[in-house]
Amino acid sequence: MKKYVFWRVVRAIIAVFVVTSIAILMVFTMIPKDKIFQQDTAQMQKLAGKPDDMTNYKYSKWKQLGYLDYQRQAEMCNSASDNYKACMATTYTTYVDEYGYEQKEYSYSEEAEKVFGAYEAKGYTINYFLSGEAYAVKEYNGLEIIFNFYKNLIVVDNPWQVQDPDNPDLERSVYFGTDANGVPALMCSGCEHNYLIYFDSNFPFVHQNIVSMNFGLSYPTYSGEQTLGVINSNQGSLVSKEQKFPNGSSGTSPNNFHTCTYKMTSTLDHMDKQKFDDNYANCNSYYSDPSMVTTSYTFGVISLILAYAIALPAGIAMARNKGKWQDKLGIVYVNIMISLPSLAFIYFLKMIGFQFGMPDKFPVLGYGNIKSYILPIIILALLSTAQVIIWIRRYMVDQSNADYVKFARAKGLSQKEIFRKHILKNAIIPIVNGIPQSIILCISGSVITETVFAIPGMGKMLPDSIKAFNNNMVITLTFIFTALSIFSILIGDILMTVVDPRIQLTAKGGD
Amino acid sequence: MENKFVFVKADASASEHIAAPKYSYWKSVFRKFFSSKIVIVMLFIAASIMLFSFIQPLFSDYDPSVKPNINDQSLKYIQPCLEYPFGTDNVGTNMFDAIWASTGNSLSIALIATAITTVLGVIVGAFWGFSKKMDVIMIEIYNIIANIPFTLIVMVLMYVIGRGKWQLIFALSCTSWLSTAYFIRVQVMIIRDREYNLASKCLGTPITKIITRNIMPYLTSVIVTSVARDVPSFISYEVFLSYIGIGLDESEPSLGRMVQNYVQYMQTPNASYLFWIPVFLCALISISLYIVGQALADASDPRTHMI
Repeated sequence: MKKYVFWRVVRAIIAVFVVTSIAILMVFTMIPKDKIFQQDTAQMQKLAGKPDDMTNYKYSKWKQLGYLDYQRQAEMCNSASDNYKACMATTYTTYVDEYGYEQKEYSYSEEAEKVFGAYEAKGYTINYFLSGEAYAVKEYNGLEIIFNFYKNLIVVDNPWQVQDPDNPDLERSVYFGTDANGVPALMCSGCEHNYLIYFDSNFPFVHQNIVSMNFGLSYPTYSGEQTLGVINSNQGSLVSKEQKFPNGSSGTSPNNFHTCTYKMTSTLDHMDKQKFDDNYANCNSYYSDPSMVTTSYTFGVISLILAYAIALPAGIAMARNKGKWQDKLGIVYVNIMISLPSLAFIYFLKMIGFQFGMPDKFPVLGYGNIKSYILPIIILALLSTAQVIIWIRRYMVDQSNADYVKFARAKGLSQKEIFRKHILKNAIIPIVNGIPQSIILCISGSVITETVFAIPGMGKMLPDSIKAFNNNMVITLTFIFTALSIFSILIGDILMTVVDPRIQLTAKGGD
Repeated sequence: MENKFVFVKADASASEHIAAPKYSYWKSVFRKFFSSKIVIVMLFIAASIMLFSFIQPLFSDYDPSVKPNINDQSLKYIQPCLEYPFGTDNVGTNMFDAIWASTGNSLSIALIATAITTVLGVIVGAFWGFSKKMDVIMIEIYNIIANIPFTLIVMVLMYVIGRGKWQLIFALSCTSWLSTAYFIRVQVMIIRDREYNLASKCLGTPITKIITRNIMPYLTSVIVTSVARDVPSFISYEVFLSYIGIGLDESEPSLGRMVQNYVQYMQTPNASYLFWIPVFLCALISISLYIVGQALADASDPRTHMI
C-alpha cells in the first residue's frame, strides 16, 4: 500500500510537470509574442511616437516574462569588454538621402565590434536603435523556456539572497526575534523577507516565508505582481489600522509588517524612513475583501454542502421508490440538468432570483451583504446535484438486489432500516471517492457562475487572463488546477480504502 | 380406388429452418424507439430545429459583420411580429435570420466535433481493448488527460490556437476522443473474452474481423449513448466558450455569441426577447437531442428487445 501510494505520488508529480511543460511550450511558442501588448494600451499609446522607447519597452517586457534575453549596449560592454569607454564610443557621419532628409550613419569602435562579434557567436542577434545604440537579443527555444521556468519555480529564502551594492555592510543572519507587537518570530537579515516564520490572528495563524513558488510576473493585467500573489492576496480597498511600526513609533498604516521584503537602498525614500529603521520596507497591505482563492473557496464549500444536503436524500428517495412518481420526477430533473447548457440554467435561475429582489451581480452589494451570496450558491449547488443524485440512485438500486439485502429482508428488517443501515453504507463508498475532489476543486471556482455574477474569484481569472493574453497567469492557473485535480483524485482513492477496508488499490497476484 | 395421396419430396431447406420468432435488429430498434410518445415529440422538435437551422440560412445570407440597417431608426427594437418572428435588435438585424444562422453554426460545430470524437474514439478504443502493448502506453496518457479538468484543456487550447470555428472543433475533439476510446476499451475488454469470441478465435478468424463482426454490433448502443451525451455537451461548451469571449470571434454567428451579445437586454422590458429567444432555443435543442439520443441508445441495446 505504501509503495503503491509512493508510485502514485511520483506519477502524479510527473503528470503535473508534463502538463505544465506542454502548456508552457504551447503558450510561449504558439501565441505571437506581440499579442501580450494588446491590452497594455496605456503604455502603447504613451510610447507610440517614440520608436526607440517602444522597442526597449517591448524587449524589456519579453525578457522579464522569459521569452528572450535582451541586453543593451551598456550591458554588453559591461560584461564582455575590459574597456567600457572605448566599447561605448559611437561616431556618426551625416548624409542626405534620396528624399532629401538628413540621415545619420553610425560606426562603432573596434572594441564594440569585438563585443558584438562575441555576442553573435553566443547566438545573439545584434540590432540597432534609431539613436545608434546597439542591443543584442537571443530568443529562447522551447526547451530553454521550460528549463528557465522550473529553475526559478521554487525559491528558498536565505541570508545571502539580497545583493544590494549600496548596502555592503548588510548583516547576514537568521535569528529569533520579536515583531513590533512583541510576538516571537523567526527573523532574518539578508533574506528577501524580514520574517521567515511568524504568528498572527489570521488563518492559519502560523505563516512562513522560507519556501515560496515563483511563477513569474503577471502582465498586462495586475502588471508587476507575482501571479501567485494576485490570486492569493486580499482584494478591495486598503484598510488602515492603528499599529506599531518596526522602528518603534506608532501610527495608522495599511501595511502588514510581517510581509515586508527588502527594498534596495537606492529606492528608499523619506516616507520609508518614518516607519522603518532598516531596508525591509516593501510591505503588503491589509485589504477589505478576501482573496480570489478564499472567495472561490467560500462559495464552493457552502454550495457543496448544500448540494449534498439536497442530492443525498433525493437520490435515496428515488432508489427507495424506484419506478414510482418520485423516481420519475427525479429522472426528469436529472435529465434536464444534464442536457441543459449551464449558461441557460444560470440565467433562468438568475431571472427568478431577480424577481425576489436578489442582486444580479455580486459587486452590487459586495462582500458585506448576505444577499450577494444566496443566488450564486444556490445555482452552484443545483448544478452539481444531478451527478450526485444519478450516482447515489444507481449504486443503491444495484445494492438493493444484493444477497445481503434479501437476507436482511428475510430476517424481517423494515425497508427503512435496510436502506438506512445496510444499503446506504455500501452505496456511499463510491460517493466518498468523489468528495475530496469536490472539496479541493472548490478552490478552482466555477468559471461560468463567477463570470455571470462577476464574482472576483479564481474561476473568473482564467478567462480574464486568456482574454488579456496574460501568459504567466494562464500557466500558473494551469499548474494549480492540474495539480489540485490530480492529487485530489489520489486522496479520494486513499479515502475510499479507509472507508471500506475491503478495497485495495494494489492489484493482487491473480489480477 | 383412386389414390388421392401424393408423394412429397423431402425439402432440404425446411430442416434447416429454426422455429424461432423472426427477429430483425433494426426493426426492433425502430419499434422500441417509436413506442414512446415523448420521444416522438422530441424527435419532431429536434428534427425541425435542425432542418430549419441548416436550410433557412441558405436563403437569408445572414452575415454578422454586415449591418445594412444600422442607420434605419424605424427597424430598431421591433418586437416579435409576423414580419419579424424574432424581432430586431439595436442595429436593425432581423433576429430570425441571425438566430437560425447561429443555431446552424453551433449545431454543426457540435455535430462535427462529435463525429470526430466518436470515429477516432471507437477505432482507437477497439484496438486499445485488444492490444496489451498499446494498453500500457495509452492508459498512462489517459490517466494524465482524464485527471485534468476538460474546461481547462479547452480554454488553454483555444487560447493557444486562437478563436474560430475550426479551432473550436479542434479544441473540443482534441482530448475528448480519449474518453470515448477508454469507454469503448472497457466494453471491448468485457466482450472480447466471452466464449463466442474465444470460439471465433480458435476457428482462426482474424482480429479485424472479430472486431468488426463480433464486437462492433454489440457496441452500437454504447456508441449511441456516448453520441447522445456528446452532442448536447458540445453545444453547451460552444455556448459557454463564446459567452466568456474565447470561443468564436465576431465574424461567425453562434448561439453563445448571441447570448453574450444580448445579455445586457435580459432585464430590459421591451427587448428581453433578444436574450431569451437564443437561451430558450439553446435549451430546447440540448434537451430534445439528449432525450432522443437516450431513447435511441436504449432502443439499440438488443437486450431491451426480448419482450
